[in-house]
Amino acid sequence: MQTDGARVGQVVDLTNCDKEPIHIPGGIQPHGVLLVLQEPALTIRQVSENAEALLGVPARSLLGMALENLLTESQAASIRECLLAERLEDNNPLKLITRGGGREHFFDGIAHRHQGRLILELEPTSEKEALPFFGFYHQARSSMSRLRDAKDLSALCVEAVREVRRLTGFDRVIAYRFDEEWNGAVLAEDRLETADSYLGLWFPASDIPRQARELYTLNWLRIIPTTDYVPARILSLPEDAEQGPLDMSFCVLRSVSPIHLEYLRNMGAPASMSISLLKEGRLWGLISCTHVSGPRYVPYEVRKACEFVGEFMSSLLVTKEGHEHYDQRIRAQSIQVRLLERMTRHPDVAVGLTQPPPELLELTGATGAAVYFNGRTTIIGQAPDDEQLQGLIEWLAAKADPQELFCTVSLSHHYPEAAAFKDVAAGLIAASMSRGRHNYVLWFRPEVVQTVAWGGNPNKPVDMDGDQPRLHPRKSFALWKETVRGKSLPWKDYEVEAARELRRNVIDIVLQRSEELLKLNMELERSNVELDSFAYAASHDLKEPLRGIHNYTSLVLREQADSLSPTNHKRMDTVVRLTQRMESLINSLLHYAQVGRTELSVRETDLNDVLSSVLEVLKPRIDEAQVEVRVPRPLPPARCDRVRMAEVFTNLLTNAIKYNDKEKKWVEIGAMDTPDGGTTYYVRDNGIGIKPEYHDTIFRIFKRLHGRDKYGGGTGTGLTIVKRLIERHNGRLWLESQPGAGTTFFFTLGSEKPEPVTGTGAK
Amino acid sequence: MNRGLPILVVEDNDEDFDMLQMTFQSVSISNPLHRCTEGEEALEFLHQTGRYADPDQAPRPGLILLDLNLAGLDGRQVLEHLKNDSHLKSIPVLVFSTSDNPKDVQSAYAHGASGYLLKPVDLPRFERMIQLFKDFWLDHIVLPEGEAREGARR
Repeated sequence: MQTDGARVGQVVDLTNCDKEPIHIPGGIQPHGVLLVLQEPALTIRQVSENAEALLGVPARSLLGMALENLLTESQAASIRECLLAERLEDNNPLKLITRGGGREHFFDGIAHRHQGRLILELEPTSEKEALPFFGFYHQARSSMSRLRDAKDLSALCVEAVREVRRLTGFDRVIAYRFDEEWNGAVLAEDRLETADSYLGLWFPASDIPRQARELYTLNWLRIIPTTDYVPARILSLPEDAEQGPLDMSFCVLRSVSPIHLEYLRNMGAPASMSISLLKEGRLWGLISCTHVSGPRYVPYEVRKACEFVGEFMSSLLVTKEGHEHYDQRIRAQSIQVRLLERMTRHPDVAVGLTQPPPELLELTGATGAAVYFNGRTTIIGQAPDDEQLQGLIEWLAAKADPQELFCTVSLSHHYPEAAAFKDVAAGLIAASMSRGRHNYVLWFRPEVVQTVAWGGNPNKPVDMDGDQPRLHPRKSFALWKETVRGKSLPWKDYEVEAARELRRNVIDIVLQRSEELLKLNMELERSNVELDSFAYAASHDLKEPLRGIHNYTSLVLREQADSLSPTNHKRMDTVVRLTQRMESLINSLLHYAQVGRTELSVRETDLNDVLSSVLEVLKPRIDEAQVEVRVPRPLPPARCDRVRMAEVFTNLLTNAIKYNDKEKKWVEIGAMDTPDGGTTYYVRDNGIGIKPEYHDTIFRIFKRLHGRDKYGGGTGTGLTIVKRLIERHNGRLWLESQPGAGTTFFFTLGSEKPEPVTGTGAK
Repeated sequence: MNRGLPILVVEDNDEDFDMLQMTFQSVSISNPLHRCTEGEEALEFLHQTGRYADPDQAPRPGLILLDLNLAGLDGRQVLEHLKNDSHLKSIPVLVFSTSDNPKDVQSAYAHGASGYLLKPVDLPRFERMIQLFKDFWLDHIVLPEGEAREGARR
């Protein structure tokens, strides 16, 4: 790293750290001695400069010396045999006793061959410390059964950290798992109560650079007994020095990166050890041990036991992790079943989905959801606001490649507007529930920043160290929010699958419902036809006797008028009048029934044409009543049935003419744009007005506000029919009125928009 | 012009027929008037079968006034039957009904009716209508007289 120490003008970032050649540090941690031996004579070719401190012999004088010269005579032969063996690692640790400085030194010797070199690392022990084989066996056996019996992944992690801490006595042992981007999440922890808890924290990928991860895959275990050491350099015979620096990939004493040491010191951890966890040959996670109360050395045998825990745990990962998902899958299944039941029980699928408890959220592990059905949105949990949702739905609907399921962890990457609501919806699963109508179930997840507690700032800040900018790991382990802006936690495959299955279920139910609806519709149609024939038959049958009454009364009146008393004459007159009224009522009823039933022929229509033909028909009445007709601006074209619209105008204009007692009568017909891009038409008069209490009742069939013979009479069906006609056009009819000042009838024609729920996108 | 031609009225309502008869008299329609109250009866009359086996009792009409709403076989079916009969189809049929249902009007013409009259609930209008009927159908229209004889002789 020293060589890399950031050149001036170069941006200092993590990539530099990534290039540090940590496998050839040129030095070791000085708690042991490293020897490079040449076979078969076992001549010492290289040695760490701290040899004298541990062996009692100056390092330089060791170069070129045979190893046997250090050993006691009793050991020399057996050690030699062990070291020259093909599988020399099997003999680790070698219990070595050396002589030097006038006394004996006890060591664990750890030997391996690498690139043609025999490397022997010596770690001092005291004789009594040596752990008997059965000690290790017992340790391992109880560890094994605990790990094997763990019911799932998190239990496995808990058992593992507990075992490792028990074996090593480290103050804090955590297990953490890497995500796809090598950020680590702490899954389990066992610690001294006074040590800070790391449970649930995330560690950024940069904490363990790529080449370190590579070494971690090669070795099961690393230990740094103290961070406060001065590396012991390797001294070499000249011809060995020429061969380049010693590759210490497999050395237990390998000196670590100064950056890493600084990192540990800043963590408040004077000693550390880590055990690799591999799943199918790939680094899956780590068991990481830190000691806060001072340096800590762990003897070779204990490390072996820990390695064993790591290896054994690794072998269990596939099944336990499978179980983890299995449990979640089972859970998702049961939620799915409950949701299905709720949907079928409720007449409205959307309501069924969104009722509490919020199982819809649990289904995919979302923090918010929106169900958008038939133009209505229901929200649970955290979701974008209405306007944002509307925009999102329009965007989804307009997507060039509509998918059944759209799934992302970074919505703003696809839909930049989403940046505004990344705090609730950086991640999205959108399940389209139907083809034609744009119905969706949407699940949201906030940006990672909102949910993850990072173990410190993963973007190592640049510290100015004099003039030299230098990479520093973070100084503090206070919680820090990672700046992975605009990204949510990943959607797990079973969560996406759950969304997909819900979609299938909803579609099944909706389909089933629509079949029921179709059946109902057919029944309705049939009963409408029946009603229609009933209306005609009834009118025919009612009219027949009516005609008889009328005719005979008329005949009597004509032929016997003289013999009738004035009273009876008047009564007979009344009978005739009543029959006429009854006929017009029957006709109106008939007409009303017809309006609801006849097919509309909706097409682009020039309402000005319609209006002028209506005005022409009404001309005699308009002239008679001396009404001024105003059309300030031409009416915009509309999609409607021109015959029916003529009827609407006729009725509204007739009313406007009829109910007016002013000297100067006028009626105005016009149109206005509405904020949502539609058009509102109106017919305004300066007539007698309608009291507010009648604003609803005037639309009731046969409802009249005035005496039968006032204002020219009528059956009281005109407005009822107008309302029905407007409703047949998917429009709305309402009025504003001031008694004595006039009335304005407004109406819209919804048939302008064939698909009112999709808004502007479908126009 | 067509004063001598028999007219067949198919009408189930006595009051309506009564009114019709009276109005015929008052506008001086002297044509022999025959009445059937049911659809099947009308067919028997026209085919001179059943109770109308005697040709003198059931002369071939020059014109038929047909009500649509009849018990049993209704006016629509009677019309359809007539117009599918090669011997009867030349007799003009005027539908005389209360129904202003566009479907009824449409189907009446589609099945070969020569006209469609609405029965009004108003005596003066009714009288005017009958007067017009007489002027048009009895005094001006040329009816297929020859075939009538032929048919009657059969």
